[in-house]
Parts: sequence; C-alpha cells; structure tokens
Amino acid sequence: MKMKALIKKHLLEIIIIGSILLIALLALLMINLAMPKGDYVVVIYDKVEVERYPLTAEISKNLSYEDNHYNYLIIKDGKAFILQASCPDKICVKQRPISKVGQTITCLPNKLVIKIVGKTSTVDMVS
Amino acid sequence: MKSPKILLITILLGALFTLSSCQTYKSYEAMSFDYFDTVTTIVGYEKNQKAFNERFTMIDNALKKYHRLYDIYYEYENLNNLCTINKNAGIKSVEVDQEIINLVKYGIKMYQSTNGMMNIAMGSVLKLWHDAREKALADPLNAKIPAQDDLLLAQKHMDINKVIIDEEKSTIYLEDALMSLDVGALAKGYATEQVAKMLEDQSLNSYVLNVGGNIRLIGSKPHDELWHIGIQNYDLTSDNDNLATLALKDLAIVTSGSYQRYFEVNGIRYHHIIDPVSLMPKNDYVSISVIAKDAGLADALSTALFNIDIEQGKTIIEQFSDVYVMWVSSSGQITYSNQFTDFMI
Amino acid sequence: MKKEVKKLSLLAILIAISLVFSYVDSLIVLPFAIPGIKLGIANIVIIYTLYKLGIKESIIVSLLRLILSSILFGSLLTFGYSLAGAILSLTLMIILKYKTSFSMVAISILGAIMHNFGQILVAIILMDTKEIILYLPLLAITGTISGIGVGLLSVLVLKYTKGLELN
Repeated sequence: MKMKALIKKHLLEIIIIGSILLIALLALLMINLAMPKGDYVVVIYDKVEVERYPLTAEISKNLSYEDNHYNYLIIKDGKAFILQASCPDKICVKQRPISKVGQTITCLPNKLVIKIVGKTSTVDMVS
Repeated sequence: MKSPKILLITILLGALFTLSSCQTYKSYEAMSFDYFDTVTTIVGYEKNQKAFNERFTMIDNALKKYHRLYDIYYEYENLNNLCTINKNAGIKSVEVDQEIINLVKYGIKMYQSTNGMMNIAMGSVLKLWHDAREKALADPLNAKIPAQDDLLLAQKHMDINKVIIDEEKSTIYLEDALMSLDVGALAKGYATEQVAKMLEDQSLNSYVLNVGGNIRLIGSKPHDELWHIGIQNYDLTSDNDNLATLALKDLAIVTSGSYQRYFEVNGIRYHHIIDPVSLMPKNDYVSISVIAKDAGLADALSTALFNIDIEQGKTIIEQFSDVYVMWVSSSGQITYSNQFTDFMI
Repeated sequence: MKKEVKKLSLLAILIAISLVFSYVDSLIVLPFAIPGIKLGIANIVIIYTLYKLGIKESIIVSLLRLILSSILFGSLLTFGYSLAGAILSLTLMIILKYKTSFSMVAISILGAIMHNFGQILVAIILMDTKEIILYLPLLAITGTISGIGVGLLSVLVLKYTKGLELN
C-alpha cells in the first residue's frame, strides 16, 4: 500500500527518468546494430585530420604531436585501439577496440580523436 | 475462428517475401579474420542471404584447410604442415599433403623465374623480422630492428636447393637444420587461386575473394558488368581513396604495399617485404600492383618486384603472358607496364 | 554576526569535503572507461548545500570546488570541460527543486544526466567531432545509476544532520 502511494506521488519523475532510460537503451541498441564496419582509422589532432590508415592494416604507430605527449595506436584484426599513452587519465587506453563507422576513442589531454570512417568510393573491392 | 486468419496472414507475408526477393541477385559481403594473419573479404552476388552464407561457409572451410597446411607458426593435430617440415629441418623428411608439395614446387619455380628475388627458403631471415615486428606491436616504445650480425648469420641458411622434395613418397626434407620455409610472399595468393579454381569448377559466377589484398575475381557481376577494383592510395590522408580504378573480370590483382604492415623505430618505418640481398626492407616503392590470371603468380611477382628496379622487373614479367604491373615509387611517381592502363577507367 | 561566521565556516567545510570527494572520484576508475564517466559523489555536497543553504550558496560551493579541483587534480582543459557540466546540472537541479515537487533522488539523477550532457557538448565543440554524441545514451544510463546512489546518499546525509541548524 505504502509503495503504491509512493509511486503515485512520484509518478511524473518516474515517467521522465524511465523514458530517458528507454530512449537511451533503444539508441544504444540501434547504434550497435545499425553501424556498419568501417574501412579507415582516422586520426584527428586538434580538430584536423592528420593520419588515415586502412582498418585492414597491421600497424603500430606512435602518434606524438607535442613534446612529451604520445598515444600509441595499434591496428590489428580489423580493430583499432590505444596501447599506451602519456595522458594522466589513461581513458583512451582503457577504451575498448573500435571497428564500426562512427566509433571514436578520445584522448582529451592530448587533443586526439581516433575515429572509424567508411569508404567514400564506389568500387567493389580495394587492393 | 482464429487459425484461418493466422493462415491468411502467413500466406500474405510469405507472398510478399517471395515477391520482394524475386530472382534478383543482390550483393552480399562477409569477412573473416582467422586466416593467413590478415583480413579476408568475400563479396558475392546471390538471390538471398542464405544462399550466400552457404557459399561463404564453403569458402571459409577451404581457406581454413589451406591456412592450416601452410601455417609456419603452429602445428595442428593429425596434420603435417609447413611448421612440421621446419621443425624437422636437418632431422628427417616429412610426409605431407599434395597441396603442400604443389605450393613448395611453385615456390621453387618462382624462385627461378624471379632470379631469387622471391625466396620461400629465407625463413631464417624473415623470422628475425617477424619477431621484431611482433615485439614492436606489444611494446612499441622499445621497438628494435634485428641485429646485423644475426641477419648475416641467418643469411647462410637460405639455400633453396636444400629443399628436397620426393614426389613419389610425398615427402619434403630441409637439408640444413638452421633453415626454414616462409611462404608469406606466396601462400595467400596461391591459396586464393586454389579456392577460386574450386569455385570455378562448381560453375560459380560473380564472386570476389580478397585475402589481405590478394584479389581474385570469379566471373563478372550480373549482366556481364565488370568489377570495379580500386588500387589503394598510399597517401591515406588524400581525398582520393584510390590511385586508380580498374575494370576487370576473371583476373587476379595483388598489391604489395609498404604501408600495409610495418613498425617504426625512431620514426623510421620498417615494412614487411624483406629484400633477400640486403636483408632489409627496400624503400624504393610504396606499392606494386600486379594483374595476372593466377593470384599465386600475382602475389609472388608483387613481392619479387619490390626488391628490384623497374627495368629488371620488366624483363622478369616478360616471361609470362597476361601480366600487367603498376609501380608506385616512394616519391609517388607511377610507372605502368604495357597495357596496364587498358584496364583503368 | 554570529550566524554569518557560522555560515562562512560551514561553506568552507562543505567546499573542503566536496574537494575530497572530487579527489576520491578521480581515483576511482570505472572498468568501462569513457571520457566523462565518473561517480560524481561530490554532487552529494552540492545537493546538500542546495537543500540546506539555498541557491546562492550552492553556486558558490559548486564553482569553488570546480576551480580548486581543476587546479589541484586537473588542468585548464578539464576545467572548461567540467564547467559546462556543472552549470547545466546545477541550473536544472535548482529549477527542479523550486518549481516542481520532484524527490531528491530524481533531482540527483537528472542532475547527473545533465552533467554528462554538458561534458559531451563541450567535447564535441572542443574536438570538432560530432560522433562523440554516440556516447550520450551510455552516459545517460550510467548517469542514472550513479544518480540514484548519490541521491540516496544525499537523503541519508540530510536525515542525519537534521540537528545541525544555522540559527
């Protein structure tokens, strides 16, 4: 009985928070399902694209655009991730490998974004 | 009351489904990351996803077979593969599958045709580079290239004449205990070709196999349309994804690029194609693309051509009919062999 | 006079506590690292101030905490980043507290979601990468979870400090 009264009293807020959660969950599901696998790993430093690698490559690359700042990018098995980094929070290192169009790894301290993009050309296959 | 309604809905939905998928061929794509240490992409035109999935499973299984046979790093249960041969170098001859004999024979043939610029017996040297690259991937800040002394020592153990094939007994023996086979420059293309031939035997049409840049076209697209194949631009930040677009059918095209697999030491790139003479990666080219009828030939040539200049390369490809090459030098200058441009659109 | 001194000391204590909370927050690393995911336990202090002292005081505590924690444990970048989150979150919480009859837990949850939203917004502008918005759904979910915890803790804190009145 008491529970019912409590729910009734807070009905509006429960509805609002509930719908935010629902929308978020649906959006999450859609992002995960709808995003196609990407073709390129794009490195953006300070808002400018500086590097671009095929997602099919096997590459280890030290991305260093300022003294004493670095992020070590690894591309392997169709996925990209940061292996080591100089930033204090190491958030970029802890992020899961990315492979789908639109996925990003951000390193705010080093002003770096690693982004997955699709191909723009219309060929059937690239060699 | 209820069941006729359900039946009606099922019939309607079923009719709709069949109508919408009525005999039109659509393009399907699938990828796998399990074979030859690279990405495999299969594109095929089929009536529906199910038909494509069945083909893909078949192709995947075939690739798996070749991957296991040609694996130089791991052995598998109840299977003698290249790794087994390497392990028994200087010890004993190993009985192997005919597919392995065929590959090794083809490797020796390509060694002769390329004057040793593609050598499947240089495993000793390639292993040093492979280990250095693996270490660089795991610990990039302490990346190192192999020591010169080690390379020179390894160089003494790459004599292809010490690969002894006994066709009657189906055995291979490496006479030098310190030598080993590394078919990285050949196996992907060769296996791609074998799988393609198997598909052609089943009169399959409209498929593309792409095993890590080793592309083999089976037939053409529906309505005899040619496949459009892009040659990746080495300058990946450029607005043009492709240096050239080719319109082809039934052929193989393989690109070897210095930008595909490499590691860095002190800002200097070391790619994966090692010159058998200098024992180092050569930096004359960023990529070489070879069109041929056979994906194995195209693969072997694209590696061999990386280690010699363009004039020498042209004399080598003269031995073969229907081989067309595009060289992209480190400065970005592009050279075509005769008729390569005919395929360009 | 005595009341003013008491209030000033209380504010100082609150800021100090919120700084400790911010520090603890920066130490706790959640396994699913996404830029911006934090427990946000310092929000307990902000909610407490808002309920106990009022709008003006909550703004003071929030801003000073932000400036001091950025100097002590962060950088100029993290300051701008958290500022947007803090402003948006506090504004919403003030509006909700005075204009609706929402519970403290609900206000805490919505405040946490708003905080994440503000950070994402700044990240999009700073990095010029609109794809960062794809983090938003996940941040809304984690914000709800941490918001529930923070909200419940705030309820408890207010309950057990009932005796401590200013006048």
